[in-house]
Amino acid sequence: MAGSAEFFRMGARALREGLAAREFSAHEVAAASLARVRAVDGSVHAFLETTEQLAFKAADRVDAAVAAGELDACGPLAGVPVAFKDNMNLVGTHTTCSSRMLANYVSPYTATCVSRVIEAGGIPLGKLNMDEFAFGSSTETSAFGPTKNPWDLSRVPGGSSGGSAAAVAAGLAAVTLGSDTGGSIRQPGSFCGLVAVKPTYGVVSRYGVVAFGSSLDQVGPFARSVEDAAYALNALAGRDALDCTSQDVRCDFTENLAQGVRGMRVGVVPAFMEAQGLAPEVKAKVEEAAERLRGLGAELVEVDLPNAQAAMSAYYVLGPCEAFSNLTRFDSVRYGYCDPGHADLGGQYEASRAKGFGPEARRRIMLGSYLLSAGVYETYYYPAQQVRTLITQDYVRAFERVDCILAPVAPRTAFRFGEVSDPTEMYLSDMFTISINIAGNGGMSMPVGLGADTNLPVGVQLISPQFKDENMLRVAAALEAVYGPAPIAPLFCEGKTPEAPAAIPDAADAVPGVDLPGLATAGAPSAAPTKRVPHEPNSPVGCSRESGLSERPGAAEGAPAQVEKAGE
Amino acid sequence: MTQHLTERDVRGIAEYTRIGLTDDEVAQMTADLNAIVDSLKPITEYDLEGVEPTFHPIGSLSNVMREDAERPGFSQEEALENAPRQQDGSFLIPSILGDGGDR
Repeated sequence: MAGSAEFFRMGARALREGLAAREFSAHEVAAASLARVRAVDGSVHAFLETTEQLAFKAADRVDAAVAAGELDACGPLAGVPVAFKDNMNLVGTHTTCSSRMLANYVSPYTATCVSRVIEAGGIPLGKLNMDEFAFGSSTETSAFGPTKNPWDLSRVPGGSSGGSAAAVAAGLAAVTLGSDTGGSIRQPGSFCGLVAVKPTYGVVSRYGVVAFGSSLDQVGPFARSVEDAAYALNALAGRDALDCTSQDVRCDFTENLAQGVRGMRVGVVPAFMEAQGLAPEVKAKVEEAAERLRGLGAELVEVDLPNAQAAMSAYYVLGPCEAFSNLTRFDSVRYGYCDPGHADLGGQYEASRAKGFGPEARRRIMLGSYLLSAGVYETYYYPAQQVRTLITQDYVRAFERVDCILAPVAPRTAFRFGEVSDPTEMYLSDMFTISINIAGNGGMSMPVGLGADTNLPVGVQLISPQFKDENMLRVAAALEAVYGPAPIAPLFCEGKTPEAPAAIPDAADAVPGVDLPGLATAGAPSAAPTKRVPHEPNSPVGCSRESGLSERPGAAEGAPAQVEKAGE
Repeated sequence: MTQHLTERDVRGIAEYTRIGLTDDEVAQMTADLNAIVDSLKPITEYDLEGVEPTFHPIGSLSNVMREDAERPGFSQEEALENAPRQQDGSFLIPSILGDGGDR
């Protein structure tokens, strides 16, 4: 009988075996996982909301399958504690994008990626902090206060999927989902020492994920082992009629993991390794990983990506333009923050969007609007799309010669809070990741130990040809055999874990009677639709930790919190 | 640094994007946007003669049609659930005609 204290260390395989052997129940896993989140998350602030009802319902479903001898029918994530970036809709939960704009927004439907993970047996623990609308590389722009790096609480976890990374690194969930528009899965994966996968554009449906840059966004998993990430991809991948960019990917991503890299050709990019700003300890780790792969029988091949240096400027044209377009939908009328007391609609729009969006969101919206304006469009936007062609061709040519490319993820290890405050400097965090979004290829971060200078996690980036994501997973598995699976951050290992209780709001407090998405629940469907009650005016949303209180909507004068119901 | 945008330009963009900024915020935004646009310079220095643009990373996509069949959607109640203000089953906004009219 495994002690409940050990659940937080377990991956999908250990959990499945324990469930199958009836050493423990999924209900016990859910209860222990939620208890750990509540006991520990105060120090990390990865979670914005827990989903206790859904966790127990999902666990009961797994336990029923075990009782019926049908665990195999449960899917690859049976009994695995999971959690979701807060830009992913899950019916009955708040989906805030860590923005005041959506502080009171309750999802009326569920994202395909979320329902697929739950259908695959995952136990949903809650929703995770992020940079506001995914605009950032540190999770410092969250309206609910920053998430901390479990390896060093004075440092950022990276971003924008910082909560998703921190939750796995602190052992609060085994698998989480993030989204990656320019590096928002891979960079926090590197900063927190995790397996973090941005699949090829089109592998995972984005239906129900709040859009940032629609030609760039892709959803992917964080995990502490390559196998768990592959299980998650097995659950996530494939065609969804509700996202016409999703492709009919049918692939067992675990299939090649044990094959090793003998005979594989792994590309290295000299220009990346000589890039200005690449920290020596990161460079040393990438070189070390390359040598390890060579030692395992891979052939190292130098490849050129001559136009990759233009990716940065192309991205900061395309990303803001698409974000500007996507964020026009926040109109203070249908949903989102509405500034009260305006006699004219124009004034309501302007006040609501000014107060609802944080500084980085406002910057990107206005930048996008400027870049798309007449006379400017021809100077930046159109050339950026032409440069995109050149970058894509670079990758196509490179992948004629290699099966996978090895590169840095981020130029350095996790930085301290407030250390990078200039927007253009912050953008450099993504210098090695964004060309992959521009071209649409798969990319992932793979932990390779700690940097020699900062003693913090370093990840190497593995890049796949389009729709050959299994290539990078195979190389990652070979590196994992050398470096070991991603550890839980030392501060959060058994015996040392800080007691830092967090009063995290639970979805059921605001939204009673939510039901599992995408699943035909056992028995008859409920006769009447569940009445969801909007958030009470001025009730706490998101972070209720002390440090987050001043950031919380409703805490500051004029901040959005009220839901006004005329005629009531 | 090149001055790409003036404060007047930024006020115009703020009005267009419906983001009400204070004078101080306009000044800061002008400085920020100029710095960012300056950093985009490499994109203007490429020889792109004859290069086709790529608007989407998967080039081979074609339109996908679903069956033209009736399907359930949100009820009126569900569609209004997140509305900040509502009345009689409708979204409620300030008057857009007469004295309360939009500019």
